[in-house]
Amino acid sequence: MIRLLAVVVVALVLAPAALACNPHPTLAAMEGQIMCPVCGTTLDQSDSAAAAQIENVISRRIAAGDSDCQIKDLLVQQYGDAILAAPPRHGLGLLAWWLPIAGIVVAAAVLGVGVWRWSRHVDDEPPFDPNQNGRGGLDPALERRVDEELARFDG
Amino acid sequence: MARRLRFVAEGLAVALVGALLALLVWRIVEDNGGSVSGALSKGHTPTAPTFDLKRLDGDGSIDLASVKGRKPFVLDFWASWCIPCIHESQRLERATKQYGNRVTFIGVDTKDYGPDARAWVRKHGITYPSVHDGSGAVLNRWEGRVLLPSIFFVDRAGKVVGQLAVEQDLPRYLHQIAES
Repeated sequence: MIRLLAVVVVALVLAPAALACNPHPTLAAMEGQIMCPVCGTTLDQSDSAAAAQIENVISRRIAAGDSDCQIKDLLVQQYGDAILAAPPRHGLGLLAWWLPIAGIVVAAAVLGVGVWRWSRHVDDEPPFDPNQNGRGGLDPALERRVDEELARFDG
Repeated sequence: MARRLRFVAEGLAVALVGALLALLVWRIVEDNGGSVSGALSKGHTPTAPTFDLKRLDGDGSIDLASVKGRKPFVLDFWASWCIPCIHESQRLERATKQYGNRVTFIGVDTKDYGPDARAWVRKHGITYPSVHDGSGAVLNRWEGRVLLPSIFFVDRAGKVVGQLAVEQDLPRYLHQIAES
C-alpha cells in the first residue's frame, strides 16, 4: 500500500514536467499528437489533403519559432479541441486524465482492503492439526455412531 | 449490510452498461438519419438548422436565423484542401450574377485552416461571404459526414428543398428557391 502511494506521489510530482511545453518541437513528434480532421487518425497515419495542410501549418509555425504548446493552441483555435489526439488538460478533458488514476487508486484500495480482510480471516481459523490428515473433526453424534458400528464389527 | 451493498453495486454496474448501450444506439441512429442530408434522402424537406459562426474575413459573424424565413439561400460547404470545391464554388459565384438579388449565397469553410481559406477565397475570386466552421460541427448537422463540397438549397420558408448531386441540380434548385 505504501509502495503504491509512493508511485502515485512520484507520478504527481513528475506530471508538471511531462506537461511542460517543448520550445523546439519537430514535425515528426507533433504528427503523433494531432488528429487529421477528416479521417479519425493522427496525422502520421493519414495521407489526406486535410492532414497535409495541417502538417504544412505545423512546419511553418516550427520554422517561425513556435513551441508545441503555441502550435497546439493555434490548431485548437482553428479546429476545436478534437484536433488534439490527447484530451485537453482543462474543463471536462481533465476527467479523461484523472479518471484512470482515480480508478487505479480505488482498485488498489479495494484490493488492499480485500487482502487485509482475507488475511485476518485466515488468522481466525484454528491452527493446522497434522493428525487430522487435512480433515476437520467429526460431529460428536456422528463420531459416536461410527464408534458403535466399528465396535459391532470388532465384536 | 455487505449483501445489500453488493446488490446496490451490481445494480449500478448493470445501469451503467445499459446507459452506455442506449448511448451507442442513439449515436448510431443520429449518425444515420439525424442530418439534413439524411432527411432529404428519405424524401423530407426539413427545416434548415441555424448556426451563428464568425465570418472568414473577420468582419463579424453570420447568424443564419436572421436569414432563414426572409430570403431563400444556398449553403456551400467547402474547404481549401478540397479540389472539387474550386469548381463548385466558382459555379456558385457565377450564379450570384443572376440570382444574387433574390437568393443569399453563404459559404461554410469547414475543417480548414482560416488563413489558408482566406487565401483560397482571394485566389479563386469568390465574393459571397463565408463563415468558418473549423470543428465541422455545422457540416455534421447538415451532411452527417465529411463530404465536400456539399451544397444545400433552402426556400423562403426556411425549408431545405434539395442538395446538389449532379450538375443540373444547380440551375433547377436555384430557380425553385428563387421563385418560392
